[in-house]
Amino acid sequence: MKIKLVSQEKKGVFIAGIIFFLLLSVFSVSQSQHVLKLSVKDSPNFSRIIIEASFPLSFGFEKKSSYLKVRIGADVAFRIKRDPFYSRLIRSLSWSKERDDYILTIRTKSRDFNYDYFTVLDPPQLVIDFSPLGEGSSEARAGLKRKEDLDRRIDSSSSSRSPSAKESLSSLRGIKTIVIDPGHGGLEPGAKGRYGTLEKDITLAVSLKLRDIIEQKFGFRVVLTREKDVEISLENRAAKANNNKAYLFISIHTNSSYRKDAHGPETFFLSSEATDEEARKLAYLENNPAEIKEGITGESEDEIAMILWDLAQSAHLKQSSLLAESIQKELNSLFRTRNRGIKQAPFKVLTGVACPAVLVEVAFISNSDEERNLLQENFQREIAQRIYQGLVNFIELYSQE
Amino acid sequence: MKKISRKKISRKKVAILVVLIAILAILVVIFFKSGIRERIIPPPSALPAEPGIQPAEPGETIKIVLFFLSEEDTYLHPEEREIPAYSSVVHQAKRAIGELIKGSQRGYISPFPPETELRELYVTRKGVAYVDFSKEIVEKHLSGSSAEISTIFSVVNSLTYNFSSIEKVFILIEGQERETLGGHINLSRPFLPLYDLIAK
Repeated sequence: MKIKLVSQEKKGVFIAGIIFFLLLSVFSVSQSQHVLKLSVKDSPNFSRIIIEASFPLSFGFEKKSSYLKVRIGADVAFRIKRDPFYSRLIRSLSWSKERDDYILTIRTKSRDFNYDYFTVLDPPQLVIDFSPLGEGSSEARAGLKRKEDLDRRIDSSSSSRSPSAKESLSSLRGIKTIVIDPGHGGLEPGAKGRYGTLEKDITLAVSLKLRDIIEQKFGFRVVLTREKDVEISLENRAAKANNNKAYLFISIHTNSSYRKDAHGPETFFLSSEATDEEARKLAYLENNPAEIKEGITGESEDEIAMILWDLAQSAHLKQSSLLAESIQKELNSLFRTRNRGIKQAPFKVLTGVACPAVLVEVAFISNSDEERNLLQENFQREIAQRIYQGLVNFIELYSQE
Repeated sequence: MKKISRKKISRKKVAILVVLIAILAILVVIFFKSGIRERIIPPPSALPAEPGIQPAEPGETIKIVLFFLSEEDTYLHPEEREIPAYSSVVHQAKRAIGELIKGSQRGYISPFPPETELRELYVTRKGVAYVDFSKEIVEKHLSGSSAEISTIFSVVNSLTYNFSSIEKVFILIEGQERETLGGHINLSRPFLPLYDLIAK
């Protein structure tokens, strides 16, 4: 109707032309902004590929022994965004086009595998979980909730039946990796003592001593998140643990408080309150995809990625608390502090770690007496020795289960 | 009827009409596209009105409880305070945080750098309070785990304890989300209160 009107007027036609051109360009800009985001995440029992689109998509699967072809149909043109990844199971991802469909070929490192998938509606996501053949794929999926049980089974089969801790430890030699995380570093010095001692220097000194003790005594593989004075993001510290398939993760820090008298060691593990909520949300998302649009419109793509990341540690909270307890007990006997017990808090660095993980605040750098002690090589060595003993006790306790 | 009106419409009017429709269409497109970015910043309706709002009744006050540190132990200690009974929760909450930053009247320890300022505070309909502090809360912070925990949970507990419409607290710095205050506690998600930290 309006177009007809305009067509009668020359000037109107001219203006309408310009406007349609403008509109067209706005729409074409918005079209080219469609993105398909690929990410790969490893959990202890499976590898997860998340295909996340800013537009609705259809999909189908074609499985061969060492690869999976995912046929993706989309009504719009899109860019593919992909972060570099390392995965135990996924070897490579490649794209090709067949007629109107896009084909994502996922090659695995194992000769055969199981896969399982689920979808999330808003934003559109296709989540594919891969597990090596033998571990049922549905079992691996359920592993998100029952990871603790699966871990236990894997660990008890690889450790020796001998009651001696030393023997069971040596049977693990060469297999298990302990990741030690010296807190802070580089331009981010952490807390400062009254005499100018920097947290980052103490955490590195203690971590290096702890590594030496572990390697000398039992020959575990030890990986440090940093070996010199450099800044590393909190997420990359957790990623380093996961990429190295860490068996245990220990972050070393020195504490500070607005209370002048604050003193003594404290060992933290991740608070479950936050992760419980994440788990509930994720379960809701998985079980009620249809309700997502009405129910939790606040959940953006980032948030879902964060929930998955947050869940990495939640499956290990029980072991993390045992590890924290074991280390804190040793440190308490060193400091002759009465047991203040272990503490829970939402530590960023622990959130994404997919193994038992603790953060040890060895002493208060804000307390002048403790700051002086922390500078002593002997004291640092003693702390490292106690943390090591806590580890050994934990492993002994854990492998007997 | 339509034929008559068609004839009456002048060139100019048609041009103006078309331009208006086009502008409307562009605005609609922009509106839907920019909607994605609104996630972090709550809608303007959640923002408080102009400052300087008066109490519902002049001289009327309400009692609130603020949480501070003490040299005695590691817990947070309650301290009662009377503040004007502002008509909105947002203004009461702003005043509460202001009092918290000012410090204790009973010699308790304030877990804040003294230079810290409250820039803004708003509460969403879902019960999340966004508390926006000035950069000093990061730059001058002691940055140890215990220090971060006491700073964060003195704010969180003081808000959730007093105001039933606040269930969670999200801490912003200079209007921006931040990962942590000093490398420890995760600020990228809203906090639920931790009443276990309060002295019995």
